[in-house]
Amino acid sequence: MTHGETATATHGTAAPPLLTARGLAKAHGRTEALRGASLELRAGEILAVTGASGSGKSTLLHCLAGIVRPDAGSVTYAGLRLEELPEKRLSELRRTDFGVVFQFGQLIPELTAVDNVALPLLLAGTARTEARARAGEWLERFGVRGQEELRPGEMSGGQAQRAALARALVTGPKAVFADEPTGALDSLATEEVMTALAHTARESGTAVLLVTHDAQVAAYADREVRLRDGAVSPLEVTA
Amino acid sequence: MSTRHILLGLLASGPSHGYDLKRRHDERFPQARPLAYGQVYTTLQRLVRDGLAEVDGTASDGGPERTAYRATDEGARELERWAVEVAPPAPFVTNEIFAKVVVSILTGGDAGAYLLAQRAAHMGRMRELTALKTAPGADLTTVLSADYALNHLDADLRWMTTTAARLTTLTTEVRTA
Amino acid sequence: MSTLTSDLRLARQLVHGSDRKEWWRIALTAAGAAAATGFALAAVTLASVPAGYSVSHFHGLLTGSGTRGGVISGLLLLLVPVLAFLGQCARIGAVHRDRRLAGLRLAGAAPGQVRRIAALETGLACLLGSAVATVFSVLFVLRLWSGPTAVTWLGFVLVAVGVPALGAVAGAVALRRVVASPLGRVRRVAQRTGRGPGLLFLSGLAVLVAVAPLALNERHVAGNRLDWSTPLTVFSLVIALGAGVVWLAGATARFTGGLLAVRARTAAPLLAAERLRDDPWAPARTHAAVLLVTVAGTAFLCVRHAMLTDLRATDPEYRAADLAYYTTGLDLTGAAVLVALAIALSGLAVGTAESLTTRRRTLAAQVAAGVPRTVLNRALLLETALPLAPALLLAGAGGLAIGIWYSSLTGDGSLPWTALLVAPAVYASCLLAAATALPLLGRSVRPGELRYV
Repeated sequence: MTHGETATATHGTAAPPLLTARGLAKAHGRTEALRGASLELRAGEILAVTGASGSGKSTLLHCLAGIVRPDAGSVTYAGLRLEELPEKRLSELRRTDFGVVFQFGQLIPELTAVDNVALPLLLAGTARTEARARAGEWLERFGVRGQEELRPGEMSGGQAQRAALARALVTGPKAVFADEPTGALDSLATEEVMTALAHTARESGTAVLLVTHDAQVAAYADREVRLRDGAVSPLEVTA
Repeated sequence: MSTRHILLGLLASGPSHGYDLKRRHDERFPQARPLAYGQVYTTLQRLVRDGLAEVDGTASDGGPERTAYRATDEGARELERWAVEVAPPAPFVTNEIFAKVVVSILTGGDAGAYLLAQRAAHMGRMRELTALKTAPGADLTTVLSADYALNHLDADLRWMTTTAARLTTLTTEVRTA
Repeated sequence: MSTLTSDLRLARQLVHGSDRKEWWRIALTAAGAAAATGFALAAVTLASVPAGYSVSHFHGLLTGSGTRGGVISGLLLLLVPVLAFLGQCARIGAVHRDRRLAGLRLAGAAPGQVRRIAALETGLACLLGSAVATVFSVLFVLRLWSGPTAVTWLGFVLVAVGVPALGAVAGAVALRRVVASPLGRVRRVAQRTGRGPGLLFLSGLAVLVAVAPLALNERHVAGNRLDWSTPLTVFSLVIALGAGVVWLAGATARFTGGLLAVRARTAAPLLAAERLRDDPWAPARTHAAVLLVTVAGTAFLCVRHAMLTDLRATDPEYRAADLAYYTTGLDLTGAAVLVALAIALSGLAVGTAESLTTRRRTLAAQVAAGVPRTVLNRALLLETALPLAPALLLAGAGGLAIGIWYSSLTGDGSLPWTALLVAPAVYASCLLAAATALPLLGRSVRPGELRYV
């Protein structure tokens, strides 16, 4: 087996772009986190964004997911310019079309695992019983079994992150934005969480933007984009 | 890596002939370099010469004639000794990547560009191995051997990242030495 | 002494290097201490007025030793909401402060040293407040009263020193868990149980049951024997009532939380109910102060109505004093109740703001995930609204019961309709107080909060 073969085999044919960012710039006070970053997230692909700490990875994710507005540049999703949408519409978009996973903190500590996963469905107007039933199915799909009624603090880190993935995917989003989703986990839990994410995303055709500093996590992606000093190094986009 | 001992180990479960040993080796160590049949044959002959294995018999089963081998008592003892012996931790640092970087600096080439290309190749191989181990139905042997390689590639990558960040200092050092 | 100076320097450095929240805690603690000192000093001044001395202010209300005693008790009772407010202030940034002090402990500081630093932090803030209040009180007393006695000044010194000292002790006691096990405290915030206030309630009630018959009897016994049972009755009544409302607030929070967590159909009530179920005792202290004020306010309106009806019915010839004497007293009491309400509501606002800042990372993640801010706002208001509704209903009923009892003793048994409005009015003002924290929610949920642990 030669090295070039399977790297292109998984996602050789380029799918149409789902999300396009052009010339993003964003400063936090005096530090410029992004200076003209451009990239494409294709439908159904897993794209890793790597780079040293402070290279602007998280800020890029926040801009792409419509969590913050860039100072300059554009983010286009389904013909919409995200930086021009009002906050209410952005919030709705994040709820329905996107899912987010952070290192931790996205699960509400007072809610049980199943209620946490059911929350996006409740917000979309699904009845509580049905929302809980569907949330239960998603938890099972992520291998969180028999822990539905536990609160995040009572679960192991890996289990909690899998519940967080279930919450991000339960509405059937087009894209999931994951910011160091395994940052607080050991290698075995990392493997479990990443396998679950990769499998489910491929099964459901969900695109994943995966921000990580860990090469072994980035290896779950189909493609990698490296950030340096707030921009994508042109040499370092690998497919 | 001692092919002798691995073949002795495979013989421990019972007499076996050369082709069978090769097949079982490639199955058990899926990501290793596949054994050449010739290598199996010469190694078996050396084992017999050293008294660690002996010929068990010859059978044809209607096909070509095959010689079956089995481990001797001495072979079993040698295997036992080897299995518990600590492998020497990196006795010689043979680092092809580092050698290329130094040569590239000496000849005035672009070491940074080389490291980037090497990094991309490493990442490609890591994606390949990850796909292999996460494929549905992958057995634990595959997962563990892929993990072993992934961890080593990851270590290489980290080393390359720090080296790339310190290329200027390295260039000065190599050129003045 | 050198250890004290080094501790002082360390405490100053820690406060100096900390964020704005720390300054909020210090400022609010100082304000609470100032209020406590002010009320206590007023009580001390009145108590030190020699018998028979005539006070011209407030229609001669303060001349009689009986009414003066009443005013003094009123001032001392005002300390209850002030203490609840101070308790709430101590919680501002509590998680961060606990981590910081636990860090000190892990870095090798002795338990005593950490305790001293914590005591200094709180004690100095209280000293600031008490000093300001004392200075103004002294000026005020010198202007109004030509002959303060030695007892007055002694009392002043005791209060001015006592308030910061008590603050320091409270600061040290609050940290006993951190000092005992720094690691455990770094990792999680301990859960509270309702056992403390429950026990206090029961023991206060027991004392009350034992002493009240004696106190009622004593009234008929003439003579100059020291009357010890009346103060004890009042004291145990306050303890029982105070602990009772804390317990009531916690219990209703847990009850409504448990009831609604299962039945909630939309996100906001679910979030609010689960938070209440998870830690029903967190808001209990501030809610308790609000409930006490409701009981007092409702009862006060009934008593006032009964007294005035009674007085108007009496022939002016037979009245002990003119009507203004009585109305002034009643108005003063009403003002005291309003002041208590204001303090309790400040505590509530501070508590809501604190709960928001503690959770800002989770809240920022919710907004990032597309949970609408209106849902989070609603959940925050429901957290106050849900447990207070039944609790205020009970508190209003309790106040009304006291009022009915009083008016059956003295008046014609009629009740003012305004008494019924106290509970709803308090409810509305509580929601407004909680709503003052909503702008803070908008500011807390910046994506910047997602970046750091």
